Amino acid sequence: MNILLLLIPLSLLFMAGAVWVFFWAVNHDQFDDLDTPALMPLDDTDQRAGRRDE
Amino acid sequence: MCCLGCRAAAEWIEQLGLADYYALRTAPGQKPDAPAENLSPDSWNRVDNARHVVRDLGGGLRETLLLVEGVRCTACVWLIERSLGATPGVVSVQVNAAARRARVIWRDAAVTLPQLLQTLSRVGYGALPLDSRGLDDLRRRESRDALKRLLVAGFGTMQAMMYATAIYLGAAETLDVSTRELLRWLGLLVATPVVLYSARPFFAGALRSLRARRAGMDVPVALAIAAVYAASLIESVRGTGEVYFDSVSMFVFFLLAGRYLEMRARHRAGDLTDALARLTPPFADRQREDGTWQRVGIHELRVGDCVRVAEGGIMPADGVLLSGGCRVDEALLSGESAPVLKRPADLLIAGSVLEDGPVLVRIERVGADTALAGIAALAGRAHAERPRLQVAGELAAGRFVGRVLALTALTATVWGFVDPARAFSAAVAVLVISCPCAFALAVPAAITRALGALARRGVLVVRPDAIQALAECTHALFDKTGTLTETTLSLADLHAFGDVSRDEALSLAATLARQSRHPVARAIAAAHPGISGGAVSEVNSHAGLGVSATIAGRTLRLGRSDFAVTGFPLSREHEDAVLLAGDTGPIAAFRIGERLRSDAGAAIDALQSRGVTVLIASGDASSRVAHIAARLNVDTWRARVLPAGKLAWLTELRAAGARVLAVGDGINDAPVLAGADVAIALAEGSELTQASSDIVLEGGRLDAIPAARDIAQRTIAIIRQNQRWALFYNLSAVPLAALGFVPPWLAALGMSLSSLGVILNALRIGREDLAPRTAALVRAPAEFSPRPAA
Repeated sequence: MNILLLLIPLSLLFMAGAVWVFFWAVNHDQFDDLDTPALMPLDDTDQRAGRRDE
Repeated sequence: MCCLGCRAAAEWIEQLGLADYYALRTAPGQKPDAPAENLSPDSWNRVDNARHVVRDLGGGLRETLLLVEGVRCTACVWLIERSLGATPGVVSVQVNAAARRARVIWRDAAVTLPQLLQTLSRVGYGALPLDSRGLDDLRRRESRDALKRLLVAGFGTMQAMMYATAIYLGAAETLDVSTRELLRWLGLLVATPVVLYSARPFFAGALRSLRARRAGMDVPVALAIAAVYAASLIESVRGTGEVYFDSVSMFVFFLLAGRYLEMRARHRAGDLTDALARLTPPFADRQREDGTWQRVGIHELRVGDCVRVAEGGIMPADGVLLSGGCRVDEALLSGESAPVLKRPADLLIAGSVLEDGPVLVRIERVGADTALAGIAALAGRAHAERPRLQVAGELAAGRFVGRVLALTALTATVWGFVDPARAFSAAVAVLVISCPCAFALAVPAAITRALGALARRGVLVVRPDAIQALAECTHALFDKTGTLTETTLSLADLHAFGDVSRDEALSLAATLARQSRHPVARAIAAAHPGISGGAVSEVNSHAGLGVSATIAGRTLRLGRSDFAVTGFPLSREHEDAVLLAGDTGPIAAFRIGERLRSDAGAAIDALQSRGVTVLIASGDASSRVAHIAARLNVDTWRARVLPAGKLAWLTELRAAGARVLAVGDGINDAPVLAGADVAIALAEGSELTQASSDIVLEGGRLDAIPAARDIAQRTIAIIRQNQRWALFYNLSAVPLAALGFVPPWLAALGMSLSSLGVILNALRIGREDLAPRTAALVRAPAEFSPRPAA
């Protein structure tokens, strides 16, 4: 059962890491708009150009 | 495309590379009305007018938050971001479709706020800068907080359950004491952030309720969380009995999940601040002492000011008409789109739309004294008063927890006499065993599932307790105009005299009708797409009577029968119709009516067949309400009722013991919606109405209402089943376990199976009838379409 002494702290570390990553994502607008980014791949225009040059 | 202008516009869109809008959109666009003059973007050029809406970020950067009207779907977001982003000087654009807000940061030197607004209006979106206090955006903070709390609770629950499972299963294989102790302390470690961080809203809510001396839903919830956590903590320290960190975490997680869904729906439904900001224009043209005009923000208006309002303009405040008569659309007071004729010295109310103008108005009431603010206040008050009337319903939900807490106290007292050493652990066992299954799962799982099932059908539930009220409603009170009928007038019937074909008559009438802005004329014009051959000349509009013109050499008149036809006998049925006539006599008679929504009849039949009494309350004239009521087989209706009158009728019904469902769309419905047991607002209706309702109906599909009621009833039934099952399980399992007949592994298995059963049962909600989903996208054909000439 001694392996638990390694695995449990490891799992807690993972969890702390996951919470930190998620908090970072929430604070950086990743969850504010869940609809628009889904369309980005469909749009083949160059983001910076703003207009299509055909 | 209807004309050359449209083609030019379409080509322009194509040239700009904006045609993808049509590929991306998932909902039809909204036709913009002509922008009112006092909304024109130039007004923001005056520094004083713009100061409160723009925030200076330093370094020449400015930020503003725009409330963008007409955002329907993500295609709109794409179009707005693209068109604004392409404007030189714009640094960043963020559009949130759900909140209908755009946050724009721009360089002050390169571009100005009016230019940004103009760009937006060119692509078809009206935008209104919001007060810069809105930049802090409470909603965004609320939604982020909720998401973080939910996630912490989720992670905590998973970990706590893992340790708890190890304890349950390990106990059978005689887990050594030190490992067992370790697992218990780990449980404490992961459950602590869940209780102290994630569950904080429940504690805060409970504290608020206690301070206000009200028994809210949060009080028993907070008590249960605190009691289970504290008991487990004490047991951990003492090293005896059982710990329930997994149960308390799971409890918090499920409750937070339900609250999160509710919050998302609420944010989508809009709030009162937006509603009022949208209804009145931000500016007014005020007359200076020397007779010149100055554009001022409406917060600068004072009683006694003389203000000019243009044709199509919106009244900035309540005032008395100084110039000649005009027609005014007072839909916000009466709900009726037919304009009202106003004479000098009549009162015009803020938010009403001028059909013709310009007019001069002397301001009589401003700000919070206006009739509009009064309606909003009435809605707010009705909403605030409802919780008191509803306390009974809320308590029913809280009663279960109350009973459990009482049982816990009783167990503790009884054991206190029998064997004080075991009193504590026995009490906690009762509390925990009845809580996780029956309470943490039975109710939230069913409610969460029901919210999802309803949202798929376009029914957005803003407050979850509306589900119970919807299931139990006995009466349904409908508004007429805009709710049962469509908002615009339309041609209901056509009778052609003599040998003129219907199509020819309609074509002539439509050509003539295009010369007028009157709503009736617009209805006739809309019924015929084509343009009649022949030049139109000598157009004369006769106020209140009709319009006359010469088309291809024929003098024609369209309007009231006494105006259009003189000297020809008419049958009674055509006397009050709109007539098209030439010099030789009447050509055709048109009957203008409101068009029922295509699903109104089906929805009302369905409600009536389910035993719900359907009522109609309208601000419209008796004859029209009677006509609609007869067509829908509704026996009880009231006409010419004002917002306060509707609320009074509602109170009357409720006093007689009815539980009332109110359905409406207009601002005049807001008070009655706010005061009803459960209120449904149409998503295309006003913001104020949506803000005072419990449920928002997307796409104006009335037939979703009976379906939603079925789902609500099923949800309530399933909650009862779940609770009964949990009670049965606990009543049979707890004594057996206490007497030692059940080994721990079997108890753990039984508990998991019981929880699983409860969840699977909840999944049955809304599984049947998936068919209406597709029908939502198809509009029924119009009731009237001109038949081709035979």
